[in-house]
Amino acid sequence: MIEPYIELDDVSFAYERCAPVIGGLSLKLYKEQFTAITGPNGSGKTTLGKIMTGILRPQKGCVIICGRDSAGMKLGEIGQRIGYLFQNPGLQIFAPSVQEEISFALGLKGCSKEEIDSRVSRSLRDFDLTNLSDAFPFKLSRGEKQRLAIAAVLVNKPDFLILDEPTTGLDMERRRALSDILLGLKEKGIGMAVISHDRVFIDRLADRTIKMHGGEIVEDRT
Amino acid sequence: MKTGLKGLDPRSKLVLVLCLSTLGVFIQDIGILTAVLCVSIALSTASGSRLFVLIRKFRRILWLFVAIAVIQSIFAPSGRVLVSLGGIKLITAGGLYKGVAMVLRMSIVMVSATIMATSNSREIVQGLVQWKVPYEIAFMVSVAIRFLPLLTDEIKNVVTAVQLRGIELDRIPARQRVKVYSYLIMPVVSGAVIKSRELATTMETRAFRAYPKRTSYMVLTMQRIDYTVIITSLITSILTLILYIKC
Amino acid sequence: MTVPLEVRDLWYGYPGGKGDVLKGVNLAVERGEVLAVVGLSGSGKSTLCYCLSGIVPHIYQGNLRGQTLIKGTPTTSMKIPEIATRLGIVFQEPDNQLFSPTVEDEVAFGPENLCLSREEIGERLELALKQVGMEGFRFGSPNQLSGGQKQLIALASVLSLDPEILIFDEAMSQIDEQGKAGIKSVIVGLKERDKTIVMIEHDFDNLDVADRVLLLRDGVLQPFEGRL
Repeated sequence: MIEPYIELDDVSFAYERCAPVIGGLSLKLYKEQFTAITGPNGSGKTTLGKIMTGILRPQKGCVIICGRDSAGMKLGEIGQRIGYLFQNPGLQIFAPSVQEEISFALGLKGCSKEEIDSRVSRSLRDFDLTNLSDAFPFKLSRGEKQRLAIAAVLVNKPDFLILDEPTTGLDMERRRALSDILLGLKEKGIGMAVISHDRVFIDRLADRTIKMHGGEIVEDRT
Repeated sequence: MKTGLKGLDPRSKLVLVLCLSTLGVFIQDIGILTAVLCVSIALSTASGSRLFVLIRKFRRILWLFVAIAVIQSIFAPSGRVLVSLGGIKLITAGGLYKGVAMVLRMSIVMVSATIMATSNSREIVQGLVQWKVPYEIAFMVSVAIRFLPLLTDEIKNVVTAVQLRGIELDRIPARQRVKVYSYLIMPVVSGAVIKSRELATTMETRAFRAYPKRTSYMVLTMQRIDYTVIITSLITSILTLILYIKC
Repeated sequence: MTVPLEVRDLWYGYPGGKGDVLKGVNLAVERGEVLAVVGLSGSGKSTLCYCLSGIVPHIYQGNLRGQTLIKGTPTTSMKIPEIATRLGIVFQEPDNQLFSPTVEDEVAFGPENLCLSREEIGERLELALKQVGMEGFRFGSPNQLSGGQKQLIALASVLSLDPEILIFDEAMSQIDEQGKAGIKSVIVGLKERDKTIVMIEHDFDNLDVADRVLLLRDGVLQPFEGRL
C-alpha cells in the first residue's frame, strides 16, 4: 500500500468574513503520481494549493504531510518536504544575484563552502542558468525567473513540488521547456501537483487530473 | 443612502480628524486625553469603521505601545521613583505619566485616522479637489491609499516564501537576520516599482493630466449634518484648548 | 482614405543601446480589421505595442526611428491625451490598470480627464459598460471581480474615450477560459462596429477571432505560418 505524501481530511476553509471557499474536502496525493488540479477561477484550486503547503490553515479538518499533522509543523519544516511555487515568480526571488539566490538558504543553514559551491553549480547546470549566474534576478525574463525560483526551491531537496499556474505569461516554446523540466524532475522521483487551467500543458504531464468547482472536487481521473 | 455619520462628506471627516488630532497633540493632561480618546472611539464606531475588528488585527502592535510608554518613562524621569536599578531611576511617577500620555496621544491619532478611512479613495480625492487641492496630488494620495493594503499582502507572501525555503526567521542570529530582512525588501520594492510604473502609464494613456483642470462625474455636496459636524468640532476643539491653556 | 493605423519602417532600440529590437517594421491595419501579432518572448511584441500607442516615445524613451501614423498623423507630433482619444490600450495585468473604488469611477476617469460635461460623461459611461456587458457591476468594487471581468472593465475604461483603434497587449494571458470567451466576444462586437483592433498574443487558441496573423521575428513582421 503506497502511503499518500499529502493527505487532506475533511478540510474546510473560508477567508476572513467571506463565504467558505472549500467545504469538507478530503484528498490523498501520492509522490508517485503527477497530479493536475484544474477548474475555473474561483473554484478554490489556488486556495487548495496553499492549504496543502500550510500557507493557509484550515478552519476545520487536518492536513497530513508524510504521516505528520501539519498543524504542528512550522513553515520551514514543511518547506523541507514540499516546495511551493507562487504564480508570480518575482515574489520568491530575493537575492542580488542568481547564484546567491540559490546559495543563501544553504549558507544560513551552516553548510560548508565546498558543499554550497558544488550544489549551486549543479543547480545552475540543471536549470540552464550557468551563464546567468551573476545576473541581477529582477532583470531576467519571466521564464528565466521561473527556472531560478524552481532551482532555489529545490535546493532544499523537497520530495514534492506544488506549482501554481506556472504557465502564465509563458509562450508556447517556454511552456514546452518547462514541461520538459518537470518531466525530468518526475523521473528523479519528485512528486508533483500543478494547479493550472492550461489544458495542453496538463494533458502532456499529468497521471491524474482533479477537477474542482465551487470548492469541491467534481472529477478525479487517473 | 447612508445616514447619520456614515454619510458624512469626506471633508467633514477631515475637519473632525484634524480637530481630534490637534487636541491629542497639544493636551498633556491624561484625564482630558482619555476623554478625547473616548470621543474618537465613539465617532469612529459611529462612522462605521469597524474599529474593534481592526484592533484585533493589530493586537500585536499594541505591545509596541506598551514598549513606547516604558521607554518614554525611562528617558524622561521625574517625580517619585517607583523602580530603580543600581542607582538608575528606571520607572518614575512623572515618567510613567508622560509615557501613558504618549500612548493616549498615538491612539487618538490612529483612531481618528480610521474615521477618514470610512470614505473611499475617490471620495477623498473629490473632497480634496473641491477644496482646491491640485488633482494630481489628490490622486497620488488616493492611489497610495489603494495600494497600501496590497503592499501588506505582498509582504506577507514574501515572508511566507522565505520561510518555506527552510529559513525560520526567529532562529537566525541577529547579524544575519538584518541581511535576510534586506533580502525581503527586494521583491516587495521591485513589485511596487513595477506596479506603480504600470499604473502611471495606464493613467496617462487614459489622458490623465491632459489639462490643468478636469471635470468630475462624482459631485460632493455638503449637507446640513456636514456643516453641523464641522462647526461643532471646530468650536468644541477651540473651547477645549482655550480652557486647557487657561487652567 | 487614410488607413487608421500605419507603421512605416519602424526601428527601435532600448536606451542603453544593446542593439535594435525592432528593425524596420511595416504595417497597415484597416478599419474593422482584427490583426493578431505573435512571437517569442523577448521578440519585441510589447515594445511594438508601446510604439503603436505612442507610449514610446512620450512615456518611455529609447532610440526610435521611422513613423507610427494614426489616421495619417505621426504619433510623435501628438501628445498622449490626443492619442488617447483615437487609440486605447488594454494591458496584461488587470490589477495594475484598475485603481478606483467603484467600476463607475474607473470608467468615468478617462472622460473626466478630457473635461467633458457630466451629462456626456454619464452617457459614455453607460455606453462603454453596455459594450462590454458589465452594466450590472456599475456600482460595485473592481476588486471583487474575476480576472476576465476586470479586463472587461479596463476595456470599458478605454472605450469611454471613444477611440477608433484598440490594442490588446497580451490582455488575455492571465485569464481563465470563461474570461477569455467573454473578451473575445466583445472583440467580435467591436469589430462589427468598425473598430480597428491589434492583439498581441501568446496563446494560439485566441487567434480564432483574428482576420490576419503576423509573426514578429528578428525585428520585422512576417506572415505567420503556424509555428513560431
